[in-house]
Amino acid sequence: MAAALLLAIVLMSLLGSEPLPVRASLCALASFGTNACGLTQDQFDILFQIRLPRILLAAAVGGSLATAGAGYQALLRNPLAEPYLLGISNGAAVGTMIALVFFGAIEWTRPILAFSGALLATLAVYRLARGRAGATPERLILAGVIVTTFLSSVIVFVTVLMDATRIRSFTFWLLGDLSGASKTLLPVTIVIAIAGALALTLHARSLNLLMLGERDAFDLGVEVGRVRIVVFLVASLLVGSSVAASGSVGYVGLVVPHLARLSLGSDNRITIPAAALGGALFVIVADTVARTVIAPRELPVGAITALIGAPLFIYLLRRA
Amino acid sequence: MIYYGRSVRARGYYCLSALGLIICLMLVSACTPREAANQGATREITDDLGRRVSIPAKVDRVISLAPNLTEIVFAVGAGDRLVGRTSYCDYPPEAKAIPVVSDTLHPNLERIIALKPQVVLVSTASQLEVFTQQLKGQNIAAFVTDPHDLEGVFRSIDQIGEIVGEKDKANVLVQKLRERTNAVEQAVRDKQPVKVFYQASGEPLYTAGHDSYITDLMRRAGGASVTADVPGAWPKFSNESALAARPEAIILPTGGSMGAANANVAEALRQSPAVLQGRVYKINDDHLSRPGPRLVDGLEEMARALHPDAFGT
Repeated sequence: MAAALLLAIVLMSLLGSEPLPVRASLCALASFGTNACGLTQDQFDILFQIRLPRILLAAAVGGSLATAGAGYQALLRNPLAEPYLLGISNGAAVGTMIALVFFGAIEWTRPILAFSGALLATLAVYRLARGRAGATPERLILAGVIVTTFLSSVIVFVTVLMDATRIRSFTFWLLGDLSGASKTLLPVTIVIAIAGALALTLHARSLNLLMLGERDAFDLGVEVGRVRIVVFLVASLLVGSSVAASGSVGYVGLVVPHLARLSLGSDNRITIPAAALGGALFVIVADTVARTVIAPRELPVGAITALIGAPLFIYLLRRA
Repeated sequence: MIYYGRSVRARGYYCLSALGLIICLMLVSACTPREAANQGATREITDDLGRRVSIPAKVDRVISLAPNLTEIVFAVGAGDRLVGRTSYCDYPPEAKAIPVVSDTLHPNLERIIALKPQVVLVSTASQLEVFTQQLKGQNIAAFVTDPHDLEGVFRSIDQIGEIVGEKDKANVLVQKLRERTNAVEQAVRDKQPVKVFYQASGEPLYTAGHDSYITDLMRRAGGASVTADVPGAWPKFSNESALAARPEAIILPTGGSMGAANANVAEALRQSPAVLQGRVYKINDDHLSRPGPRLVDGLEEMARALHPDAFGT
């Protein structure tokens, strides 16, 4: 799968609204940008300053969201658990909006506030869901729906208050937009994606046991509370960094882990890293469609992930 | 499953029936024929959506739902007939004294009806299909403008002049604007058109496409928009295509209503010939984003920026 991801990165960087010579581009990519291989300065810049960073961002965002989704689904033993359904993404979006409105020029405030927003949303969901009998998966999902709708209203409220000139760019961002692959945020997003996937993979054994039920997992020596906190923290970080970089790219956290489980079984030691790679692959392909299908205009990548994701999901459900 | 007790359920039924009653009353009142606001002699004027809008013979109560339309109403000398505006309508300064009926995108129908206008001027920018239908139901004429070039803006001025009964003043205004436009076009006539990129917003990158009046404006100012053939009016534009277009000049609408927003060239264009040669021009966005009389100010500023030698400066 890692090979497939690498292949996708190379192949998709050959596609774009501006045609580039294939052989020279491949040669330049193979040299990691040390050799222009006959590309003009503009072509070289398009490949290495615009296209490649965007593809890497797509990979980081896709990997992050799918990993977070896989983590939630294992922890909550609920196939519908997903950053969006639990309101985590909306929390991150509100955090990013605050950063954009109040600290527009300072980029690094975005992932920090997005992470804070995601974490606060997670805590809110968790507190809401915690009844006398503990937090059952059903209550968690219900609480997630409530937090999601509440934060959606906050987002709408802020957008209405914002001046008209910024609304358009904002709505585009809300639907998921990878065109702003910023040089400062990109490395952060990539590092968090990889670290997050590793952290959750290290807890995969505990998550496997948790899938038997919290009681049984506890009896088998799993520190349920600690695992829960780790998953919530890591997933908030993953969702926060990807929303800050690209807005809300939907469906990835739901579709990709499902695909991974359907094809590879439900051992989290395999499905979590598989979801991370698959998510990266999925968003890279979706974004390539988004930036080429009506070139030189662009679509929000979130529209494409939903467009591909929903029918694929239905097909898989019917077949399974 | 959650089970609701008997008393809770009973209360629920009460609430439901009360709600039902309210809805019924609302429906009844909505269907009662209203006293027609527009009575007597009318005339028909075709708006930019091709609809024949029936306008009362004498109009003295107008609401404008876009800043450019407010500017036009004042410019044809009918500011005293304007009874409602949007929160964006801040020019001329006198406009600020007029009641606000919310912003361009979310007009408040109740407040509009309460102000008893005969005509509501709408810009397509506000995508108000449903809204114009509702106004029609209230017997209020909704006149929609959608200019795609400078001629279209002149047409808006003429039509609004006709609506408010200031046809002569509108004609004089358009005449003056045409003279200024001609002067600009004369001055740049023999100049080599400059390849221009219009950065409507940098992050994400938006520009002016084929259907935007800005594309026409740039041509008249002695420029050639590198995005003139991109479909739509305000397309979201590909960063790499912007880089590949190699514009010789970049126009940044900023500093007006936008404040400090859009004051920097998008990252993809930082190495463009325009930036390297210092040909990035900031123009007050209120002169470019409002297709009204001040668009000609924008035209003059753009032409002076692109061809300073043609104006002896």
